[in-house]
Parts: sequence; C-alpha cells; structure tokens
Amino acid sequence: MAANFWTSSHYKQLLDPDKVDVVQRLDKEKGLTLEEFRLIKIHMSLQIWKLALHVKVRQRVIATATTYLRRVYTRKSMTEYDPRLVAPTCLYLASKVEESTVQARLLVFYIKKMYAGASSSDEKYRFEIKDILEMEMKVLEALDYYLVVFHPYRPLLQLLQDAGITDLTQVAWGLVNDTYKMDLILIHPPHMIALACIYIACVLKDKDLTTWFEELRVDMNIVKNISMEILEFFEYCRLDSKGNILIPEDRINAALNKVAAKP
Amino acid sequence: MIPGTDSGGGSAGEDDPSLAKRVADRYLKREVLGEGTYGVVFKAIDTKANRLITGQTVAIKKIRLGQYKEGVNFTALREIKLLKELKDPNIIELIDAFPHKGNLHLVFEFMESDLEAVIRDRNIVLSLADTKSYLQMTLKGLAYCHKKWVVHRDMKPNNLLIASDGQLKLADFGLARIFGSPDRKFTHQVFARWYRAPELLYGAKQYGAGVDVWAAGCIFAELLLRRPFLQGSSDIDQLGKIFAAFGTPKPSRWPDMVYLPDYVEYQYVPAPPLRTLFPMASDDALDLLSKMFIYDPKARITVQQALEHRYFSSVPAPTKPSLLPRPPPKGESQNQKPSDFNPQEGPIVLSPQRKLRRVTLDHDGLAGSTFRSEKAGENVKEVRHMDGTTSQSGSMPMSIDLGAMFGSRPPPRPTLNSVDRSHLKRKLDLDAEFDHL
Repeated sequence: MAANFWTSSHYKQLLDPDKVDVVQRLDKEKGLTLEEFRLIKIHMSLQIWKLALHVKVRQRVIATATTYLRRVYTRKSMTEYDPRLVAPTCLYLASKVEESTVQARLLVFYIKKMYAGASSSDEKYRFEIKDILEMEMKVLEALDYYLVVFHPYRPLLQLLQDAGITDLTQVAWGLVNDTYKMDLILIHPPHMIALACIYIACVLKDKDLTTWFEELRVDMNIVKNISMEILEFFEYCRLDSKGNILIPEDRINAALNKVAAKP
Repeated sequence: MIPGTDSGGGSAGEDDPSLAKRVADRYLKREVLGEGTYGVVFKAIDTKANRLITGQTVAIKKIRLGQYKEGVNFTALREIKLLKELKDPNIIELIDAFPHKGNLHLVFEFMESDLEAVIRDRNIVLSLADTKSYLQMTLKGLAYCHKKWVVHRDMKPNNLLIASDGQLKLADFGLARIFGSPDRKFTHQVFARWYRAPELLYGAKQYGAGVDVWAAGCIFAELLLRRPFLQGSSDIDQLGKIFAAFGTPKPSRWPDMVYLPDYVEYQYVPAPPLRTLFPMASDDALDLLSKMFIYDPKARITVQQALEHRYFSSVPAPTKPSLLPRPPPKGESQNQKPSDFNPQEGPIVLSPQRKLRRVTLDHDGLAGSTFRSEKAGENVKEVRHMDGTTSQSGSMPMSIDLGAMFGSRPPPRPTLNSVDRSHLKRKLDLDAEFDHL
C-alpha cells in the first residue's frame, strides 16, 4: 500500500518499547511470566502462519493478522481474550480488511484438521464459527477500530531496488517475515524495519552497503538497534535444522493453561 | 483519537458492562432516519459531553450481522477502516463505534440534508456562487481522500451530505478502496451508472482517482442543470449519452481506449459545443467542466488541479457554507417530499411564484437548446418529476423499464442495482461463496 504512512493511524498508534510486551494485570495474577507471555505470542504468530498456509492468503494478510494479535495484547489480557481463539479471529478479520476474504467456516475446518490427533490440549483449540464471529467484534473493539496497517514488504522491495541488491530479496524478505514474531511492527515505522532487515542481510551475505546507508536520511542508530533486537531474538529462539523456531509444546501448554485456569 | 483513552488503557473487565448499556446510557435513541445498505440508521442524542458540546445529535448506523455467518458486514468494515483514517471537514466523521446486543453500531455526525435534495428542491435557487461553493466542498473532500490514496467510487449527489452549518461532506465509503498498489485489479462495477466514467463503462480493471473526478464532473453538471446530466438506461446507453455530449472519442484523444476489455466501437458523433449544453454557465465553469470530462483518464484534470482552477478564484466567490440555500432538514422534509412534485400545479409554492417560474423556464430553455433529439424525452422528464414519488421508491428494475421505453416515464435515478451489487460481491469473493454454506 502506497498510502501515506506519516498521516496514518498506524503511525499515530506506534508505541513506546516499554508499553509493549507488558503482561496485563489479570494475567500476572494468574502467574503468567513475561517470558511465557512472549512465548505465547510467538506461538500464536506461528499458528496464524500455519493456518494461513492452509487457506492460502497473501503475505500481507498474515502480517496484518499478526499485527492485530499483538496490538490486542498491549491492551487486553489473555485471561479474557483466549489467544487460541484470538489468533484465528485476527486472521479472519485481516482477510476481510485486506480484501481477500476467507470464510470463517474454512478457518474452523482447518483449525480442527490441524489439531486433530494432536496432543492432549487440542480440545481447547476447538472452536465453532459462532465463537470466531463473537470474538471478531471483541477484537475490533480492542483494536479501537483502527484497521489499516502498513508493512515493511513494499518499502523493502523499493529499497533493495534502490540499493541495487535485489539478489538479497529472498533473505531480507524472510527476515521481515521473522520480525512478526516480535513486537517490532508496533514500535517502529515499517521502512525502518525493512532497513534493519537489509542491514542484517548485508552482514550475512558479506555485502558492503555503508555508503548507501550513509546517503539515506535515516537515523542509523535506530536501524542498528532494530537489527540488534532481531539478532537477539534469533539467539533467544532455538531453531531446528530447517531454521524453524522450536518452542517446547509443554511450555506453551503450561503457559496457556495458566491463563485459561478459572481463578 | 476519541475512544483511544477509555478503551485503551484499563483492563477489559471495566469496559464490557458499561459498553453493553451504552446505547441506553450514552445515546438517547430517536426516530429511524432510514434503511441503509446494511442496516438501520437512527437519530440519537449523545448525552456525553464531547468536545465541549453536550446533547449533540448523531446518526447511528446499526449494522445487521448477515445470517450470522459472515461476521461484521464487509461493506461496513471497509467504511470503518477508511473513515478511521480520514478526518477532514469535508468528510463525514465516524465519531464512535461499539457493539451492542451483538450488533455493531457506528456513530456518525448527524447530517441534515444531502446534495440530491438541494438539486431536486425546486424552491431553491442556486446562484453561481452557491454552485461554486458546493462543488468546491465536494472537491476538497475528494482531494483529501486522493491525498490519502483512497478512491471513493460511489460519488453521487445523495452521498454528499450537508451538515447543519452548511458544510458538505462525503459519505458512504462502503465502496471506497485504497488504490496504492499499481497492479491491483479492481472491479469496474462501481458508481451509480449516471456517474460512471467511460473507462469503467469499457470495463477497465486498473483505474485511479480519475473515476472520482468524472463523477464530480457529473455532479457539477447536475448542479448547473438541476437534473442528472447523463441519464443512461444501460451501460451501452450511458456511453451513448456521454458520446452524444462530448463526441465519440478517437484513439488519438484516448490511446488506451481500444485496449479496454469491453471496448466496442461507437458510430462517430461530433461533439456539440459545450456551451449549448450549459447555456447559463460561465466560461470558467465550462473550461473546468470540459477538463473534468476529458476522456483519457491520464489527461483528465486531477482534483487538486481542479481546486486550483481559475473558476474558483474568479468572481463570484463561493458562497460561505452557512449561507447556502438548503432544503428543510431531513426529518421534517420527509413527509413533505411528495409536495415538491405535485402533479397538477407543479411544486407547492413556498416561495414567490416568480421564482418558481424562473427555475422552470431555465429548465425548459436548457432542454430545448441542447439535445434536440431528446426534446421529447425532456417533456417526459417533466412528467417524471410529477410522479416523482414512484420513481423515488426505486423499486423498479432499471435495466428494463417499460415506462421509460414507451416514453411515459424516464428511468428512475439508478443506484448500484442489485445486479451490480451481487456482481461486485462476487468479484470480491464474498456472498456468492457464502451461499454454498
């Protein structure tokens, strides 16, 4: 979307880093730790991704859905907004907003399929269409009805073109995808995230773009800080042989059970 | 950023119970204003002090939740999404949104009237300055949308609402889209037919802000003529009407035309001088009008350029919004509407008889000197105005209107008809798929 980011609600809604990644009071009372809170968000971002692969939507839809999910939890507790339901609902809402509607019926079908025969906790993932539609209204409210989200993908392609390093597209694009496992999109303008991903890609692929970066009129300190955050995140996550993030299922379940437990 | 503070901060527990009672608590429900495309609109009084005003009148759209299968209505969602990004004096303000009893409610500022009512009210005389003011406000709202990369796609007089202070505001963004992506394909089934640009009628899938400019041109013409300018009865007929007015375009004037999906060659007709169509318009008005009606969307004037056109800087200056002539507020006028189209005596005279005659005279003069071939049609038009109540109901199918065919009644003002709507929805992969459920 080429609409103007600087006049958008997205820009106005950008948050201070210390306002993001804060465990809500109700969740804290249930004993949810910050780390568990993060793990659940990562896990749910991955769930959105997996579900999206089944229903085949554009990358933007996944990115928008994940942004919604993360925005919701800067305001609402997981105790009241069950992440297992919020995640598919965000995908449903994002698909409508991004004009490539996925039916709730299909989502419900694939959720059931994904968790059929899975571990013991699969019961809690079973939702009906009605549940998603009810949650849709609550998510809309939690988002304060602000629905337009900008993403780093478009600026990324433009910047790569401008720098003449389109051969790095795949690496950088993958990095941008990974940033949605963090809260970066709630904090930084999308083009800054794109620049950070290019910066990392250059380091990884041994390209020297110092002059190009210097000519850009952006605060390189911020770009470097975002890059550091992304790299720290990779260190934090254990990756499997294919580079996928591995989260021990028992830890996720333990965390989810905390917020699901009746007081 | 109205609700951001109260719903954003606290934990959710405090929000829900208060919200449930909000309609009763905050908004005092009044009479139903009308049935929208996706729900009922009613008038209400906002009891909460908002921007230092208490007792502000608002219009609340209660959005029906389909058959409880599709969730929040898609059109409503588009409107919410865009209106949350668009804040401008010439765009309707979405004040609030909230769920109540399972339905989503959208709270808009209350608007007294709309431009269609102004144009149609025969008791209103629009001076050159008045017309200029209405057009300027329309273009200002549109310019703001285009600056934000939003195409409205449903510009027509009854989507241009008029506030109690005379400000004209663009409303109904249910068809609007963000058009940033250059290669995205859009449906051409947008706009009510009479306001559809030629590229849309030729089936263009990739189009831009120019479609809104064409529609604004039609609205400008309608303000000048006091009747819809190009009243096609089908898409083919619409193109015919356009070509009759501006001449059949040659590929030299519009090179991309021949590549459009639904392009068909029309028999060549030369353009009559624009002056004959708008005998009362000033030279500046005609110049602006001709630029808004340029066939090639790439060459068509942009909204920003239109606003900078000398028409707006030359005398007379646009009338101040608060001084513009307006029909009586919607609520009151509703019962009186038929009286405007009284069959025998013409409009019930609220203003001096002289005034009335002058308007009618202009009207005949226009019709007589313009489409000679349509003279018969024009006479018929008078008849239509007389039984305006029936044509207003709009329940008639518009593609086959026997009345119009046999000359007893020209076609009713078309909106997006059900065929277009369902076509549009199908294009958007919406309802058609839900039907399989």
